[in-house]
Amino acid sequence: MKPKHQRLLLAIIAVAALVGAGLIAASALREEASYFYTPTTLVAANVEPGKAIRLGGMVQKGSIVRGGDGVSITFTVRDQRRSQKVAYRGITPDLFGEGSGVVADGRLGPDRVFVADSLLAKHDENYVPRELADIDMSAAAKTKDTLVP
Amino acid sequence: MHRFANPARFLRIARPLTPALFWLGLILTLAACIWGLFFTPTERLMGDTVKIIFVHVPAAWLGMGGWTGIAIASIVQLVWRHPLAGVSARAIAVPGATFAAICLITGSIWGRPTWGTWWVWDGRLTSMLVLFFLYLGYIALSNASSNKGDTSRVAAVFGIIGAINIPIINRSVIWWESQHQKASITLGGSSIDSAYLVPLFVAVAGFSLLFGALVLMRMRAALAEMRIEARMRRMAES
Amino acid sequence: MPHAPFIIASYVIAGVGLTWLVISSYISMRRAEASAAELKDRP
Repeated sequence: MKPKHQRLLLAIIAVAALVGAGLIAASALREEASYFYTPTTLVAANVEPGKAIRLGGMVQKGSIVRGGDGVSITFTVRDQRRSQKVAYRGITPDLFGEGSGVVADGRLGPDRVFVADSLLAKHDENYVPRELADIDMSAAAKTKDTLVP
Repeated sequence: MHRFANPARFLRIARPLTPALFWLGLILTLAACIWGLFFTPTERLMGDTVKIIFVHVPAAWLGMGGWTGIAIASIVQLVWRHPLAGVSARAIAVPGATFAAICLITGSIWGRPTWGTWWVWDGRLTSMLVLFFLYLGYIALSNASSNKGDTSRVAAVFGIIGAINIPIINRSVIWWESQHQKASITLGGSSIDSAYLVPLFVAVAGFSLLFGALVLMRMRAALAEMRIEARMRRMAES
Repeated sequence: MPHAPFIIASYVIAGVGLTWLVISSYISMRRAEASAAELKDRP
C-alpha cells in the first residue's frame, strides 16, 4: 500500500470513529440535553412538586384567564398528547398569546398546577407576513414543532 | 488533484477572482440588506424584528460552512499533502470565527424582543457558542506554528475533530427540545414565506461571495509571506 | 417594546464585522504581496 492510501484509510477510519462517537454521545444526551419538559415528558419523568424545572408547549386556545389584579394569569400548555395548567404573575412577553409557543421556568405545586417564575415566548419555524397570516394560517399549522397539538 | 498545487497557477486564477467575488458579493449583500430592511412585510408574530434574519442566517451559514471547509482542507492536507490545503484552512479561520460571532450577537439581539431573553443555554445556542470557541482554539493552534504559511498537523487534526460539532448544531433543535425554533429550510422545502425567502437567498449568496473573496485575500497574503520567508532563508544562507 | 433599536443594532454589528474583515484582510494581502515583490526585485 502506498503511503498516500495508508493515510487515506487512516483518515476514513478516524472520521468514521468520530461520527460514531458523536452520534452515541448525542443519543445518550437525548433526555438530559433537552431544554425543557413538555407536558408529556413531564409526566413520564415523574418530577416531584417543588423541584425547579422548565416547561414548554403551546398555549391552548381559549385557556388564558387573566386575574382581576392585572398581573395574575393562568393558561394551559399543550403538546400533542397532554396538557398542563400554568399559573404566572408578571408581565407576559410580547409574543405570548393563544396558540403561541411558551417556555416557563418554575415548579409544580402540590395541586399539580405549574407555578411559573418567568415566561419566555417561543417562535415556530414558520415566517409568514402579517397580512397573509389570516388567510394562510394553514401554513402556520403545518409546523414540524412537536409541541403543536 | 495537484493541478492547482502550483501556487503560481493558483495565483493566476486568484488574482482576477478576488475583486470579482468581492464586488459581486458586496453588491448582492447591500441589495439584500436594503431589500430586507425596507421592502419586507411585518411578520405575524415577531413584527419587524424578522428583518434580523437577513444578517443572522447568512452569518450562521458561513460560521458552520467555514468549519466544514477547514475540516475538508485539513483532510486533504493530511492525506494528499496538498500544499495549498493548509493555507486555505488557515485562511478560513478568522472570517469563520467572525461570522460565528456575528451570528451569536445578532441572535442574542433578536432573542430579546421575540423570546424575552438575551440568552438561554439550550442545545442550539450552546453548540453554536462551542463552535465559536473551537474557532478561537484553532486560530491559537495554527498561529502557534513558527512557519507563517504552513499549518501544523496538530491544527489539522483539531480541525477534523472539531467538525463533529457541525452536525450537532444542525440537529440540536431536532434531537432536543429547545428555545430556538426548528429548521425552516430543509431539503424537503421551506416554511419561510417567499417575501422573506428570496431576499434571504440573495443575502446568503452575497455573504458567501464576500467570504470567498476574504479567504482568497488571506491565502494570497499567506503565500506572499511564505515567499518572503523562503527568500530570507536563502539570503541568510548565502 | 420598540423594535427599531434591535434591528439597527444587528445590522450595525454585521456591518462592523464585515468591514473589519475586509479591511484587515485587504491590508495584510497588499502589504505581504508588496514586500514579496520588493524582495524579489532585490538582487
